[in-house]
Amino acid sequence: MMAHVFVCDGIALTTVARQQHILITGWAAEVVRFPVFCVIHALYCCSISLNTHRNLLEISHKICVRIHLHLESRSERLCSTEDCIPGTGTYLRHGYIFASLTGYVLRKNEGEELPVISVVRETETQLLPDVGAIVTCKVTSINPRFAKVHILYVGSTPLKDRFRGTIRKEDVRATEKDKVETYKSFRPGDIVLAKVISLGDVQSNYLLTTAENELGVVVAHSEAGAQMVPISWCEMQCPRTHAKEFRKVARVQPEYLQA
Amino acid sequence: MDTIHACFKDKIGEVLLPGDVFSFRLPESGDGSIKTDKIICGPGLRRNGEEVQVCKSGILRHKQPNMYWIDSQQRRYVPAKGESVIGIVTAKSGDIFKVDVGGSEQASLSYLAFEGATKRNRPNVQVGDLVYGQFTIANKDMEPELVCIDSCGRANGMGVFGADGLLFKLSLGLVRRLLAPQSEIVKDLEKIFPFELVVGMNGRVWVKAKTVQQTLIVTNLLESCENMTSQQRQTLFKRVAEGSL
Repeated sequence: MMAHVFVCDGIALTTVARQQHILITGWAAEVVRFPVFCVIHALYCCSISLNTHRNLLEISHKICVRIHLHLESRSERLCSTEDCIPGTGTYLRHGYIFASLTGYVLRKNEGEELPVISVVRETETQLLPDVGAIVTCKVTSINPRFAKVHILYVGSTPLKDRFRGTIRKEDVRATEKDKVETYKSFRPGDIVLAKVISLGDVQSNYLLTTAENELGVVVAHSEAGAQMVPISWCEMQCPRTHAKEFRKVARVQPEYLQA
Repeated sequence: MDTIHACFKDKIGEVLLPGDVFSFRLPESGDGSIKTDKIICGPGLRRNGEEVQVCKSGILRHKQPNMYWIDSQQRRYVPAKGESVIGIVTAKSGDIFKVDVGGSEQASLSYLAFEGATKRNRPNVQVGDLVYGQFTIANKDMEPELVCIDSCGRANGMGVFGADGLLFKLSLGLVRRLLAPQSEIVKDLEKIFPFELVVGMNGRVWVKAKTVQQTLIVTNLLESCENMTSQQRQTLFKRVAEGSL
């Protein structure tokens, strides 16, 4: 029973031998065994960007887990607090700014006294859905209690990975929440505009809502396969078969409509 | 108006195949008054722009004043809302039972959906029991849901049944004929000997008579009614009635 303390990129990983183990590969080009329980505890304490980057931390119940830690051998000291303000990908310790990610250093002059220094993994920043952001998503499956969606766009930027979201039955509409039927609001394959209300924790998905006039189904296909035309806030019509179907339709602002 | 009905009238009673098309080109007459007529397309017919296409093979039927549909033979059941079916309980998990109704997915039946069931007073349903229930949710995107009470909260004939008897499968067309209000088949069968009969819209039928032999006779008679005309059926029933007496 030994306790190991590793400092890499400023993340202290403490370990104590327990029943379950996980393998972390890619750390200092070595395969090291760490028990699950303590790694999670240590990462949680340090609360660095790993918490919000879902694709970085995949905890499964199996033995083998890959934690993508993009690591330098030691965390690099960038500059002192007097020169810059720390931004994303950096942290402050003992009056100096250190990098917590591997990547490119960006220095931005934002008009305040000091420039903001940040470390980004790629040249384009990965935009993550934040609470209150409007996202475009595609419905994958429905259930009497909620609808599961894949988030495709945040605002107008496409995402590289598909994040998963959930729209609960009570978040579909603002009025008459208990009389909502998911089958009359969404169908699999619909494109929906929604707003993020919660990031959720590790196991659950993003929680979304469509309880506004401007949110809801934007593009939907009928059972015959043609794209439907909205006729009211709760109905859409197929141009080929003239059959009406129920959806929770979004009232898109005229300036966003393209002829 | 004449053109539309005329197209259909030719084919009433004829066998149509999927892909057959009725197209309507209203004549470009300068009369001004185009009589728009409403036609209701029932199961098996679908509108596609200016045409009506046939999507199932069968016989075209007509009901006054303007309803047309295709009468097709089918054995596979697709759950639809409001239909009463016979299901077999396959699993109990938490608050719901999983019931096999013969569709692509198993239906879920909540234990509170029985008459007089409360959280403390659970219904006595075991795996393998037969239940007669109605669909509240049944579409191609979600798992179907059954209930054994009606909207007032009364059982109305639904629930667990079938201590004895025999469960067998028929085609959907025959089952619909059995469930018609003045069904001739049922009337003719009643004359032979008394029996209990439960018919589900998913093609499943449960029969119970006084003895096992009588149950089997009823089963065989129902299965043979599928492809018989009413004349042949009546002669057969007469022979059986005389033979069993």
